[in-house]
Amino acid sequence: MKKLLITASLVAMMGSNAVAQEIGATFSRFDDNWLTVLRNGMVEHAATIDGLSYQQEDASDDLAKQIDQVKNFVASGVDAIIVNIVDTSAGAAITAAAGDTPLVYVNREPDNVNELPATQAFVASNEIESGTLSAFQICNNLRAAGKAGGATGYLMNGQLSNQAAVQRSKDVYDVIGMDMCNFMTIIDEQTANWSRDEAQDLMTNWMSSGEPFDFVLANNDEMAIGAIQAMKAAGMDMAVMQVGGVDASQDALLVMAAGDYDVTVFQDSVGQGTGSIDAALRLIAGEAVDQKVYIPFKLVTPANMGDFLAKN
Amino acid sequence: MSDTSHGTGGLTFDKTKRTWPNEMNILLALIIIVVIFEILGQILPYMNDQSFLFDSRDRFDSIFNEARLRIIILQVAIIGIIALGVTQVIITAGIDLSSGPLVAATAMIAMSFGQTELVNGFANPKALFGTWAMDLPVVVPIVVGLSFGAFIGAINGTFIAFLRIPPFIATLGMFLICRGIALWWSGGNPVSFPTESYKYIGSGMMPVVWFLSLAVIFHLIMRYTVYGKHTYAIGSNEEAARMSGINVKRHKVMVYMIASMLAAFAGVILAAKSETAQAGMGEFYELFAIAMAVIGGISLQGGRGSIIGTVLGAMVLGVIRSGFTYIKLDGSYQLMAMGSIIIAAIILDQYRQRNKA
Repeated sequence: MKKLLITASLVAMMGSNAVAQEIGATFSRFDDNWLTVLRNGMVEHAATIDGLSYQQEDASDDLAKQIDQVKNFVASGVDAIIVNIVDTSAGAAITAAAGDTPLVYVNREPDNVNELPATQAFVASNEIESGTLSAFQICNNLRAAGKAGGATGYLMNGQLSNQAAVQRSKDVYDVIGMDMCNFMTIIDEQTANWSRDEAQDLMTNWMSSGEPFDFVLANNDEMAIGAIQAMKAAGMDMAVMQVGGVDASQDALLVMAAGDYDVTVFQDSVGQGTGSIDAALRLIAGEAVDQKVYIPFKLVTPANMGDFLAKN
Repeated sequence: MSDTSHGTGGLTFDKTKRTWPNEMNILLALIIIVVIFEILGQILPYMNDQSFLFDSRDRFDSIFNEARLRIIILQVAIIGIIALGVTQVIITAGIDLSSGPLVAATAMIAMSFGQTELVNGFANPKALFGTWAMDLPVVVPIVVGLSFGAFIGAINGTFIAFLRIPPFIATLGMFLICRGIALWWSGGNPVSFPTESYKYIGSGMMPVVWFLSLAVIFHLIMRYTVYGKHTYAIGSNEEAARMSGINVKRHKVMVYMIASMLAAFAGVILAAKSETAQAGMGEFYELFAIAMAVIGGISLQGGRGSIIGTVLGAMVLGVIRSGFTYIKLDGSYQLMAMGSIIIAAIILDQYRQRNKA
């Protein structure tokens, strides 16, 4: 009797496996704010699709771990894999690890994006836009404030090992390299590891030198908020200070609503999340997909922030 | 050992070998580091003769750059609170690796009971619970946070004292568990926008007030109470402590509970200071807390070390961090330099111990 039951349940499990679809996803970090919005959006979207079982894992910013996760997904026979790649220069390794299993890259562009096999696709925003949009708007604001004769400021980097951080800081220098914005000078740049409390301390350290400055550019909203908190604590007038970041998180938009924050950049988590799951499902079904989908960043300022309040 | 009220760390007390207290050495090191930064400020061409500690630009009423003095201690105050507990654990010859993730988990949990309902007229977008958990008195997040810390500490202590699991392993396990709890609590989402009264306990120089008051309290406890004497006794010679009638197991559980409650309190304050709680908070805090104690002259073999030493160790780290930003040293070099200083502190300490013995 017992044996029969076990056999029956095994058959039932195999049966359900045959009809249901399984997607395994690996993300570079579970504790990243924006990626969490993306992840949760994907879980919600997956729940609306009948017969889809969706599982996600944390690569903790460790590429070797992520490659193993992809191999584990393949070994356990998932129908498709979604990867938020830890290191964008390791596209070939991830692509190879997936073998014939359909794979979709989400949010970050792997270096092999132009050589993806037919079973793989890519849905993301172009990272070069984010830092550029933010820095360029700050440049415009400074010009509008009559500071085109010379403006100094600080740059807060995200984690130094993180590619988005490196790219966003490089974007800032590219903007400052333009004729139109070369009146901007960076007094110093340091990392605050994406974190609000480290940014508070860093900003306070900078201010203790007493050097006058006109702007602060940060690789993400959290650090920008930390800088704003520190400057307000020191009694600075946020109306004249220009602060730019990236993410358009809800925390940041409410700081912007209070008039303290000037520029951030919206990255469409819903568009990327649903886009990647839908692309994976189409790959599983063997349908044709657009292999490269770019979802644009959008500039957010006090003028249009209302459009984004309920989004990220 | 300069002071017989502390444990002897295997050394016999000998008046002829009496030197000045260990804490004086750390104070001296602190002064030397400050002087080095002052000199660097004078000789580095891009510094424009700016002073490190003194008010070279005439911005304050005093001769010191008050902004610098404040940030030096403010930026180490929260990890310093953890270090006060870690000091006690290390004196019992234990270690606590779980404090960093415990800070994150406690921040998340405490902040969930410290949120405000309306932010600039908007509904709180990060509200975790319903309206019943909104705008509660500040004592609620504090008590919830401390209780969680006590709970985690009791588990740590029980595993270590009663199940004889090495402290390194037990607290390493708890390190992962707490990071998991922090991520699970709100599914990785930040918990933000505290009430005004909750914000206040972490605003401005409040973290420093907490740090220094707790330091004074625990200095007195470690120095003048039975609790302190038993803690040193266990670390110096656990067997002897047991023979002399100390309930070693119960005492160890108590030490780990106190350490975790201090780490939890650090989490409560960190969330208030940042006005948000996030799962990734407190990264490497456990290691910097241990580093403060080590720079402060603690012995990882147990039985030796003091709260004053740890406070000075925290100050050394604060001065270094501020100084590096002052001379505009790149972040990657900062880590290398800070690591070298920690190792140098241990080498100096060992050398000193050998000469004394």
